[in-house]
Amino acid sequence: MTSSEKSFLAKHFSHVYIEKAVLSHPVTIKILENLQNSQIVKIDNYKEVFCRARQNYSLQEKSKKLILAKKWGEFLYPGPSICHNFGYDNFFYTSNILNCIYSCEYCFLKGMYSSANVVIFVNIEDYFKEIDAVLKNKPLYLSVSYETDLLALEKIVPFSSAWIEYAASKQNLTIEIRTKSTNFQALENLKPQDNVILAWTLSPQEIIEKFEHGTPSLSSRLYAIKKATENGWKVRLCFDPILYIEDWKSIYEKFLKQVFGEINPDKILDISLGLFRIPKDYLKRMKKAFANEITSFPYEESQNIYTYPKELKEEMTNTILLKLREFVLPSKIFVI
Amino acid sequence: MIYIVTAFHVEAKPLIEHFDLKKLYEPSKFQIFSGNDILLIESKEGIVKSSIATTFAMTKFGAGSKDIALNIGICGAVENAFSKGDIILCNKIINHHSKKAFYPDILIQHSMKEATLESFMHPVKKESLPVEIEGDIVDMESAGFFEAASIFLPLHNVHCIKIVYDFLDFEKINLVEIQNLIKQSIPHIESLINSLLKLNLEFCSNAPEIDNIPLLVNKLKNSLHLTAYMTNELESLLKDYIIRHKKLPDSIFEFFEVQINSKKEGKNYFDKLRKILLS
Repeated sequence: MTSSEKSFLAKHFSHVYIEKAVLSHPVTIKILENLQNSQIVKIDNYKEVFCRARQNYSLQEKSKKLILAKKWGEFLYPGPSICHNFGYDNFFYTSNILNCIYSCEYCFLKGMYSSANVVIFVNIEDYFKEIDAVLKNKPLYLSVSYETDLLALEKIVPFSSAWIEYAASKQNLTIEIRTKSTNFQALENLKPQDNVILAWTLSPQEIIEKFEHGTPSLSSRLYAIKKATENGWKVRLCFDPILYIEDWKSIYEKFLKQVFGEINPDKILDISLGLFRIPKDYLKRMKKAFANEITSFPYEESQNIYTYPKELKEEMTNTILLKLREFVLPSKIFVI
Repeated sequence: MIYIVTAFHVEAKPLIEHFDLKKLYEPSKFQIFSGNDILLIESKEGIVKSSIATTFAMTKFGAGSKDIALNIGICGAVENAFSKGDIILCNKIINHHSKKAFYPDILIQHSMKEATLESFMHPVKKESLPVEIEGDIVDMESAGFFEAASIFLPLHNVHCIKIVYDFLDFEKINLVEIQNLIKQSIPHIESLINSLLKLNLEFCSNAPEIDNIPLLVNKLKNSLHLTAYMTNELESLLKDYIIRHKKLPDSIFEFFEVQINSKKEGKNYFDKLRKILLS
């Protein structure tokens, strides 16, 4: 964002909308300590603000607001089929936070919600209670950063740390915290846990600059990964989504060389590889809000999922896999 | 177009003078003034009248998504946290009677204070304030204005600006004082308008070629005898092509001159065109 844009746009989180029921929740109080200059607006239910008609998603991305709410009802959802379960039977995800501070053009959240504002469900203790109950009957593999980037928001609300500390005492729970953030230092004082996977999404710098607005550079992500592996954390690399762009072959080849020039593949738990794919309805909604290279690509549809045409998909997957296998054992690579 | 809705002429007068608006003499139930891409309508008192005037103006003058709507007027402050003359941009507007709440999207910086406003159907006295009142300030129009305007416009373009006049003590109305208060608030209002215009201009603009799509599609529809389904598909394909390639396909102009003799021929040309647009 240029300085002239900054000068007239309100800052992110210039407004915090808070459900009256959580005004005095300790997490709310903690969040507000960091946002002392924000305007507070009391609300009855987060949907009043988050689900309003006629919000302009792309403009809201320039000045995201924060909504603090209490989560009711379901806390766990079955992992969707377009995501990898990495061999775990009970793959679930949970969402403490809806939406992300970053603005990646390909993100499915743009098609999922009508608002770019960020919702934090502050009652994390209720998530833990629910999971405690489930764990009595079965083990869980849980993605806890599914509809947001938890680590990127750690300075606002330390939920990554909270999840790690919770998981530390649970034998039959494995959690994955997926991120593009380089804020590893927020976790540095925590003891690495065997059942916690820190998963970094990596893209070529060209893709980051073009499509992953507001995210850290590739080199700084690699630096954070290196630190995490050195500190003994289990780290997953996610080359997902792989995007079709001009010169994709040479760009991804150079990218993989850079990644494994910096990161020792032996220190990595595993790798996930996936081409861009998105549910049909989400793309439809994204197209209305955003006209860009991602939304205008002539994808092919199969079982209500849009992805690249079959031949292109195969060529891209095979080319990248072949290159990847120069660095990593095939047994460590999960393809979706 | 910037739509301004005020309740009374005394609130409108300083704005009419400042923006050099002229009275419209078209037959209407409302007093309307316009000029310099601004349209001001006087609704008279009350939630319903404000809603009707807003709907009338926006329908009659064809409000578009980049237009802006402002409700400007005086209000009463519930608490003494405000002073007479404070200019307030409302971040929440409650219809006291329906309990419906509205939230403008405040995406730009501004120089005003912010508060929650509650709209009543009747004047409110301090001693008879309902216990459950949530608003920091009260008026008799904003909820009606906001509900109506937000049907036509995106939420970042609809705002209520209120100037604190009294503290619900039924002070005698001083018309000159009201005019002066509104006049003093104009620089803040103007600055908000400028930021909103900038926001809409810089971040909501399409590529020029995309603006021409309806024209192109219409031409192709006629020359290729396209069905409604094909026309819709063509529009979407053309838009996507321009976004990807930043220009129209060179060969598209050949399709304007085609002479079609049968449905089948039209379909063949359409398939050919589709292939080009998918590249």
